[in-house]
Amino acid sequence: MCIDEALLSSYFDGELKEPYKSQTEEHLAHCAACRARYERLRTISEELRSDGPDEAELNRNRDVIFSRLEKKFFAEGGRKPGFWRKKVEFGLGSMITAAAGLVIVFIGGFVLFGTSPEQTSDIIPSYTIQADSQNVRFVSSDEPRGLDGYSLEEILSYLDSRGYNVDISIKGLQPVE
Amino acid sequence: MEIKSTDSDSFRLVYENCYSVLIRICYHVVYNMDIAEDLVQEAFERFYLKNMTFPSEDEAKYWLIKVVRNLAFNHLRRGRRETQMVEKVRLRASGGTNTRDAQVDLDENETRREVRKAVSELPENLRMVIILKEYGDLDYKAIGKILGISESNVKVRVHRARKKLEESLAGDEAYVY
Ligand SMILES: [Zn+2]
Repeated sequence: MCIDEALLSSYFDGELKEPYKSQTEEHLAHCAACRARYERLRTISEELRSDGPDEAELNRNRDVIFSRLEKKFFAEGGRKPGFWRKKVEFGLGSMITAAAGLVIVFIGGFVLFGTSPEQTSDIIPSYTIQADSQNVRFVSSDEPRGLDGYSLEEILSYLDSRGYNVDISIKGLQPVE
Repeated sequence: MEIKSTDSDSFRLVYENCYSVLIRICYHVVYNMDIAEDLVQEAFERFYLKNMTFPSEDEAKYWLIKVVRNLAFNHLRRGRRETQMVEKVRLRASGGTNTRDAQVDLDENETRREVRKAVSELPENLRMVIILKEYGDLDYKAIGKILGISESNVKVRVHRARKKLEESLAGDEAYVY
């Protein structure tokens, strides 16, 4: 009697216990049909494993990501709190509504500013960048469309996740009535 | 050795030992290096923030794989709009050096495309099991722990996944008998 397929699959994975393991080996030695089935299992496994980037490519940012995490959690002076979650998320909406005017956001080296009309979620209709800043490339865009498509939360969360130490101050000026 | 996720030595040890396997697993769910890297970073952030003590390194590794697996599948399920937004920011942030994946896709041979198609078409429960088996190099016991299912259930799923892969990869020949 030939080997059950599920059993063969387990054997292939080295998960078959005795006496089944020896019995399977014995059968394989004598049965070409089962050997062919075993070969198919191996082919599938090899095809799967050969797909995708090699180890070097997979690990291309291993150190960079570790540095980010280290900076975020183990830098001197204890860990930096998740600023967005802890400080800004709950307050921003009302803050901007209250400001209801020109909103200027300083993030690291660059400045985002714009008027803030009704919708608090869409507060960055235009932006500018300090030319000397190291950070410029980060959110800079060669496209004329700029950052319009992103909410402030998206931008800040993104910067934070990339390990940027983001200082944010929002200045609400007088309403532009 | 006991692992405390907020201890810097433990954190580094776990990172060193788990990064490769996490990125490989994650990549083979989302098929995009940039996204895989973001998700792995997020998994390590959660690991730290969870402030947990694990009885062993393996337990920490299984926990991380579980998180990465959830993050990766959530990513796939999430709406396209959000993904595209993140992608736009990402492309800008990295100065357009991310054309590599596209290039790799173009260069991929037919077999690889077929393999990806076959894996992607597996139902989620079978897909994850085979990804953990082939790309995570994990035994049935570990996979069972990660997915919260029994070893024999893992065995059955691995076998069923291989059956389905065999059928899809056989392609046209299958119709000829
Ligand atoms: Zn046989």
